[in-house]
Amino acid sequence: MNQADIDRIRNLEVRIREIAEDMGLLTTDIMFEIVPAQRVLEGMSYNFPTNFSHWSFGRDYERNRTIYEHTGHGIPYEQVWNFEAPKAFLVETNPLALNVLILAHVYGHVDFFLANRYCQQGRSFGDIADEARNAADRFQEYTDRYGLDEVESIIDAAMAIQWHQDLDPFAEEVPEEEMREYLMEIERAKLERPDTIRGEFKKPQTKEEAQAVEKRLQELMFKTPPQPEYDLLRYIKANSPKPLRPMGADILSVLRNQARALSPNGRTKLLNEGWATYVHVHIMRQLFKEGLLTAEEHGVFNRFHSSVLRENKKSLNWYRVGFGLYEYVREQWDRGRFGREFDECEDPHKKAYWDTGANLGREKIFEIRASCSDRMAVELYFRDEFIHEQALYIYQEQVDERTGEMIDVIVENRPEVIRAILKRSLTLYGTPTIYVKDGNYKDNRELYLVHQRDPQLVSTLELNPQYERGTLEKIFFLWGRTVHLETGEIVEHKEGELTKVDRVVDSYDGKDHRSMKI
Amino acid sequence: MPITVPEPVAERGKKDARRHRDKQREAIRKKLPEIISEESIITRKKGKTVKIPIRSLDIPRFRPGSRKKQDGDGGEGGDGAGGTGIGQGSGSPGDVIGRRPGKGQSQGPEAGSEPGQDYIESEIDLEELVAMMLEDLGLPNLEKKEIAELEVIFGFKIRGIQKSGPKILLDPQRSSKIPFGRFFAFLEILQDETDRDELTCFSALKQVDGNLSEALEILADPNFCASDTEVEPFGIYHEQDLRYHKIREDVRHESNAVIIAMMDVSGSMTTMKKYLARSLLFWLVEFLRTIYSRVEIRFIIHHFNARLVPEEEFFHTVESGGTRCASAYELANSLIDTEYPTDRWNVYAFHFSDGEDWDANESMREAKKFFEKGINMFGYGEIHVDEYYRPQSTLIPAFTSNFPITEWAAPIEGGTMKMYSGKDDFPFLGVVIENKSGLWPALKEFLKKDRWS
Repeated sequence: MNQADIDRIRNLEVRIREIAEDMGLLTTDIMFEIVPAQRVLEGMSYNFPTNFSHWSFGRDYERNRTIYEHTGHGIPYEQVWNFEAPKAFLVETNPLALNVLILAHVYGHVDFFLANRYCQQGRSFGDIADEARNAADRFQEYTDRYGLDEVESIIDAAMAIQWHQDLDPFAEEVPEEEMREYLMEIERAKLERPDTIRGEFKKPQTKEEAQAVEKRLQELMFKTPPQPEYDLLRYIKANSPKPLRPMGADILSVLRNQARALSPNGRTKLLNEGWATYVHVHIMRQLFKEGLLTAEEHGVFNRFHSSVLRENKKSLNWYRVGFGLYEYVREQWDRGRFGREFDECEDPHKKAYWDTGANLGREKIFEIRASCSDRMAVELYFRDEFIHEQALYIYQEQVDERTGEMIDVIVENRPEVIRAILKRSLTLYGTPTIYVKDGNYKDNRELYLVHQRDPQLVSTLELNPQYERGTLEKIFFLWGRTVHLETGEIVEHKEGELTKVDRVVDSYDGKDHRSMKI
Repeated sequence: MPITVPEPVAERGKKDARRHRDKQREAIRKKLPEIISEESIITRKKGKTVKIPIRSLDIPRFRPGSRKKQDGDGGEGGDGAGGTGIGQGSGSPGDVIGRRPGKGQSQGPEAGSEPGQDYIESEIDLEELVAMMLEDLGLPNLEKKEIAELEVIFGFKIRGIQKSGPKILLDPQRSSKIPFGRFFAFLEILQDETDRDELTCFSALKQVDGNLSEALEILADPNFCASDTEVEPFGIYHEQDLRYHKIREDVRHESNAVIIAMMDVSGSMTTMKKYLARSLLFWLVEFLRTIYSRVEIRFIIHHFNARLVPEEEFFHTVESGGTRCASAYELANSLIDTEYPTDRWNVYAFHFSDGEDWDANESMREAKKFFEKGINMFGYGEIHVDEYYRPQSTLIPAFTSNFPITEWAAPIEGGTMKMYSGKDDFPFLGVVIENKSGLWPALKEFLKKDRWS
């Protein structure tokens, strides 16, 4: 990129910010860096502009680079981080029109970061970029002192359970003793305050019930954790019987914080990408209208824009579906196609032409981008009609009996099933829900984990056993004592019926894996 | 200025990518016993690079998947096959949207013991693979000096000069250097001493055959005049002037090896049996190539009669008829005598059969000649797979009763396999291979370090 291009793009950036503000978007100073492709590939492989060394990042980097070098594709058009001062990369070899598209797109993301309640939460880790850079230095010191294998095995283990976080992203971190106190207080209140309305209402009616409360109190006194703990790294770091040493504790903290800072992006990927696409379309249209870009550049823009929105046969294109959702909702709310009256209308003709001229579309989509996670958006706005419009389906990997080849077959396109599966997979990268039930199991400080199931969703009933064994080994490495996981095993699965499941406990004691039905 | 062009930073990814590759290598190493029996390597086209689909390593995480074993999956437990995904486009339930080779059709072995999700087809040098095997077998980088080098005498070599020796080794050029120098010196002395001209002095010196004092005497006679028309220099030789070539025997250290592969191709040797023989041979050859500068392989097939064949034919010929192993041994022996004498070649003979032999005693008589010639090793592989009935082995009892051989059992996965080793340094090794998993221990035994020093 030559100096003239850089000057031009700087001027365009000023105008883009103005247009964004006119649109009603929130803006702030964004650090744009013009960098070689390799820098972007590293950024996408390492999660942060600079992060600690790890073979898994190297693996991703090599894969991304190979794809890029062989096809020229696979490089993300834009890369932006939700930091205190948001930072974004522009690839120096991109055509100018593409870099302008990226500027516009990034302004969409930044508005989303500033407005969306989940991403606001992510911004509370404002210095996470600095932390990652400092961690890189510290981890290097550890490596020099203790050796690569030592450091790596802790990172490997922490990565294995990095994404198991509090189910409620807004949950405050309460120390275990405080939580115990709080829970005991609630139980005690049941016994001690019969005169208040709440006490009256909750008061144990019989002697047996009162005894049960006493018993719960007794248990609470010594139980660890006092209530199910979903944040596995936090629990292990605070309670592991194995001395983790300052190095281990540090590595666990870094990995946990990185996941927590990144997870809001994971919870809002669809809405965020869709929103940025929606914004870049609007801004680019305005720039062309103002004659700030040439006709030739219009062609370049069109080419990249349509490739961004291409439909994927075997994965969800966030940009396309997210963008489609905002367009869909905008139109529906502009025509007043919502609310009880609309929902209950049974006249198909009337419903098809329903238009109250409500003109609430713009307001609605701004609200969605501020308050929703992907999961909520699916629940609230993925109407049957929208799912059909987007032609979504579920496919399954099967073996072709005739040829022995692996084939992908469409198995499902019912909207209710797609909604259920989407909701599940949009919660933190599809991480199964697992919590610590007992950190002093068998009174021997063994760790007892429970895999929580949703009886409606077959995909939550079982775990891939190979990965499960591997993960248990990693947890054992951190805990140092036998680790148990209560999970399920499907006995019988019939279409349309509730799946029969056995509960099993899989254990790893440092040497052998055992499995027991309960 | 919100848009900046930062200073370039060093590429970090490469170092970590290398670490990942190292870990993959480690995973391959663990899977070597499976990889060596892989058909795609053994039957590969010429050229040294082997493609092995290597699973990229992955951090294990709890993830949804089926607990049940997939049929025909090799029994690693459910591996998430049958996984589902969400997609977008035209199509309704039942439509196929993607197709790729299935597990049974995989193009090569899969390395990697950690759970993996996708494959990066990685290329690995066959040499590197062999080096890994050697390391695994406890044969770290065999130095050239450790192997049996042969002294080959090619005749003589001139190495310098000396002052005495037989006439035939006289070096005329070097020997005449001083005599000619002497001639000119004498000529000069005579001229100085007598004040006569050069030609006269020359004639005098020539007349007395280079004797300086006699020449002076002649020149003392004032009537002496030159009888020659020009000065023709000649050497004036003294005994100590003579130089002789110094010679040494020309001994070269050669490390040539020949593998004489013999195989029974009678009807009972099925494709699978030949395949196992071929695998074993393949790795033995690759191994020998790493330690010898030159390796040749000759193939002999036999049923009742034996003949030399090209490699292709060796593995694909099926012939009917009785089995007479002696015919192959006999042919191998004459091949050694005529083309690969053991004083010039390291000779390794391998014979693969299913144990049947029409006249084992005759075979032993021929086999004995191998050992008398001092070949490096005679390997015998008896292969029993895919058999409806197991033929009575006549060869093994014959070997054990004729030669100093110990029978023992090596532990393998799910049992043991029989091995027969020569006592002390007797260069015999026999193995009985009953399935693919016997390949690795057999190879291990063949490649034991002390066999090569």
